[in-house]
Amino acid sequence: MTKPNDAFRRDSLGGRLTRRKVIERGAIGAAGLFGAGFLAACGGSSKSSAVTSGSKSAGGSITIGSFQDNAMAPFRDTFIKRFEKETGIKVKYNETSYDAWYQNAKNDGLNKTGAYDIYVMDDNWVPEFAASNIIQNLDEIGFKVNPDILPKGLEQGYWPPKSGPRLKDFANDDPALYAIVIIDDVELLYYHADYFDEAPKTWDDVYSAMKSKAKPPKLYGWSARGVKGNPIVMTYLPLLNSYGGEFVREDWSPGFAGPEGVGALERLMSFIPYMPAGVAEFDTDQETQVLLQGKCMALTEYTGLVHRVDDRKSSQVVGKIKMAATPTQEKSGPAIGTFVCGIASGAQNPEGAKRFLEWFTSSEIQRDFARGDGSAAVTKSALTDPQAVKDFRWLPAIADAVNNSVPKPKTPDEPKFEDILGTHLNQALVEAIQKKSGYTAIAKSHLTKAANEIAQFIKQQGGYV
Amino acid sequence: MGTSSVAVPARGRRGSELWARLLASPWLLLAPAAIALAAVAAYPLIYGVRASFHAYRYGRDVGSAGLENYRAIFEDHTFWTALGTTAKYVALAVSIETLLGLGLALLVASQLRFSRFIRVSLVLPMTVAPVVVGVIWRLMYASDIGVVNPLFSALGLGKPNVLANPGSAFLGVVAVDVWEWTPLLFLIILAGLQSLPQEPIEAARVDGAGPVRVFFDHTLPLLRPVLMVAVVLRLIDAVGTFDQIFVLTKGGPGTATQLISTYSYNTAFQFTQYGRGMAMVVSLLVLVLLLTIVAIKLMRNAAARTSS
Amino acid sequence: MSRERALAVARVAVLGVAIVVALFPFWWMLVTSLKQPVDIFRGVSLVPQHPTGDNYSRLFGDYHMGSFLVNSLIVVTVSVAVSLVLGTLAAYALARFRLRFGLNQSALVAALLVRTLPPILLVIPLYLTLTKYGLLNTRLGLIVIYGGLNTSFVIWMMQSFLEEIPKDIEEAAMVDGDSRLRALFRVVLPLAAPGIAATAIFSVITTYNDFLLALTLTSTPAAQTVPVGVSTLIGKIQIEWGPMAAAGVVGALPIMIFAIIVQRHFVRGLTFGAVK
Repeated sequence: MTKPNDAFRRDSLGGRLTRRKVIERGAIGAAGLFGAGFLAACGGSSKSSAVTSGSKSAGGSITIGSFQDNAMAPFRDTFIKRFEKETGIKVKYNETSYDAWYQNAKNDGLNKTGAYDIYVMDDNWVPEFAASNIIQNLDEIGFKVNPDILPKGLEQGYWPPKSGPRLKDFANDDPALYAIVIIDDVELLYYHADYFDEAPKTWDDVYSAMKSKAKPPKLYGWSARGVKGNPIVMTYLPLLNSYGGEFVREDWSPGFAGPEGVGALERLMSFIPYMPAGVAEFDTDQETQVLLQGKCMALTEYTGLVHRVDDRKSSQVVGKIKMAATPTQEKSGPAIGTFVCGIASGAQNPEGAKRFLEWFTSSEIQRDFARGDGSAAVTKSALTDPQAVKDFRWLPAIADAVNNSVPKPKTPDEPKFEDILGTHLNQALVEAIQKKSGYTAIAKSHLTKAANEIAQFIKQQGGYV
Repeated sequence: MGTSSVAVPARGRRGSELWARLLASPWLLLAPAAIALAAVAAYPLIYGVRASFHAYRYGRDVGSAGLENYRAIFEDHTFWTALGTTAKYVALAVSIETLLGLGLALLVASQLRFSRFIRVSLVLPMTVAPVVVGVIWRLMYASDIGVVNPLFSALGLGKPNVLANPGSAFLGVVAVDVWEWTPLLFLIILAGLQSLPQEPIEAARVDGAGPVRVFFDHTLPLLRPVLMVAVVLRLIDAVGTFDQIFVLTKGGPGTATQLISTYSYNTAFQFTQYGRGMAMVVSLLVLVLLLTIVAIKLMRNAAARTSS
Repeated sequence: MSRERALAVARVAVLGVAIVVALFPFWWMLVTSLKQPVDIFRGVSLVPQHPTGDNYSRLFGDYHMGSFLVNSLIVVTVSVAVSLVLGTLAAYALARFRLRFGLNQSALVAALLVRTLPPILLVIPLYLTLTKYGLLNTRLGLIVIYGGLNTSFVIWMMQSFLEEIPKDIEEAAMVDGDSRLRALFRVVLPLAAPGIAATAIFSVITTYNDFLLALTLTSTPAAQTVPVGVSTLIGKIQIEWGPMAAAGVVGALPIMIFAIIVQRHFVRGLTFGAVK
């Protein structure tokens, strides 16, 4: 380092001596990092091979992947530990955001990477995951179904579907169980008891209540998930169903662009003056925040919220929020979005995975699941368990909603449908918020565009019928 | 690098001879790097172009599809919207960044006393991961917990709810890009300014030209090569913007911030239409290639200028 | 005189605003990361009302931040080391030998092309390829890809650094009886050490910050890197603002330190040596 260094003469800022010192130090630091990295790389690889060999021995370990959801908290925090204690099988549990997990699970299964044994799934993933053999046929591996499970929930795990329209390629196959329901998640109406004497029966009742009582921004009449994609679709479906519309008809043609679907969306738009202004960017967290702060009269949301409304750490309305099935209009129409579990076709420990799922869906465990903190258990005996119902006022509402629920279309392309519809719904909502009038035309034009796009997409996929 | 410089002399004569022979042949020196680049860049590119002519159904390659993917994206109006949004995004962000960067560089160039501190603080936004930049601005923009809404209301401008409206969301993500990348333009332009020959500028000043005149007649033309390098580099990079959008809006509301990068990503990985996603990306590649060729030309010129 | 003074004041004011705009968002993230959940929602406060380290302990407990950091450390250091070796050898060849067919130029152009390709162009085929070799969701897969891609940058940077070291020094050493090898290690590389360090740190920054490739090619905390880890906190069901801000702080910190170390070479690094 004694020779003059031309390389840096041009640098006009700062003295050369300190600069060189800094860089030398940087080099030492970098060298240290390399050393540490190499060591860790060796350590890391030996550890992962140990895990692989371990999982092949009896018992071993299983890896469960999931999206983040409040409804998963007891599953994650209580029941996994209990299973480990009772069976000696180690359980690794990873959760990530919904979209990321959907992609991860799918890619893991398509490529049989074997990173996961069990996928916690949204029920609308079942067709795609089953049709592309991402998950195993549970009937074939001898999975024992607990007959106590509510049929509407159980049905969500079959492919091809037991009811509703079918893809032509699968028209003659016998339905087989590919995923087992673990949480009967349905949309409920959550309403603040201070502003409603009893649960509003129809959407019109909800509207007239907010019209007379809401005073935004101190008290909003309604809050919703307005962000594009799946969230706003979940906001819209209970409305669509109850106004007599359909996501798709028996022949797979989109069924939401007619007067029923337009009417349902107009109803949502009529809530705009009584909703928070940022609603078009709201997802669950922001949507429910206003309710939990006591600044909102009502909203529809999945059952994950039941765990938060009475939790003093996150809620200022403990004991004030009541639950009911989502309102009706022409008919009842709660949207069902059960959590189901599939066993990865590349699972390293399918036996352990099967054992876990049979254990978790047994009547005894489900009863404790409901008794513990009022989770949306999947068995009839758990949802009607007297002790559980006494402690958790929402369990009958869940059973009621499940039995009356309307499932989503059973096609592998359903997530794409949601993406298309969800983008247009979001655009319609934003436009309505900005223009403040002409709701019918806005709703009609965006729903028609969405319907055409879905129809075109089906055609590109080679047609369904 | 420490590994090779330290380990080799210690390895003794045999190792030395091998290394000596290796070093004598430039081809052998180039080979490992060439193989690496071929493996992670050339091969995937070719593979990707091939994939754009294949149909994928639920994640599986179901054979050649001819031009079907290209036909489908050309008929897909979301693709065109995304292409337009990408162009608008790049043009708007890069021009604002250039103007701001130039302005700041001119200010700092004559303020050497503070320049070290200023340099470090102005540079920070571009050093952190774009994902972190996205997180930072989620926290700033959020309509319930952020500071942008309260700031605007305090100024009497109402609550913008930046990410909830198509117009403001687009401007919002452009603003994030400007926040993150103006430092790049600033730094490069500053370096250019500091290496400019002073004589013509001094001469003009002596002749009585005002500062504005001097800037447009002398500084700017001299600065042009460096400026072009900076702008073209930024353009190329901006075309591929993905991370901040992914964290901030996922392309929403509606399709207001949907860029080709996010749209092709969703097409490929959310809906496993790898062929169609690749067709979008290949179409984009043509654009980027043209830009890169221009960039290389300009950079050669600039390198010649600054080192002469 | 007073006009000049006014200009000076205006100049300081503009710079002041620029610095506040550049730095405040970082402050806001830091403050949010130290707030309790209730305080996060309780309006704007530029300091945490009841400072807590809770978000950080949850980040490392519930949200696997430790694994993400370890993965990033391993992937970044190994891949940067590999690319430095490959790239410096190639750069030495390009700086010291005149190849046939004008290949010096073409090689540099090829390297630059690789560097300027947006990751979105490569991610789909890389994903499909890694799938075939069973390298999805492994650190090795990321190391191979980052190591290869980063080699292009090292070639450009090191070529420009090595070219600045006068040939005479090396030749003088060789006249004194050194082999080319000895001359390289005794004379050239020590002179290039600052350049190597700067190149290394730059490579660390870009590799550590990459998101798209890591997002696509990994799926569990066994291989996910810090930026991917940060993004997983932005759930659709629940946005964990506190841990998310904490993750941003942890994700940004190491790189900010590195960046301050090399800030003198920033321009060179950012323009591949075109502007010094």
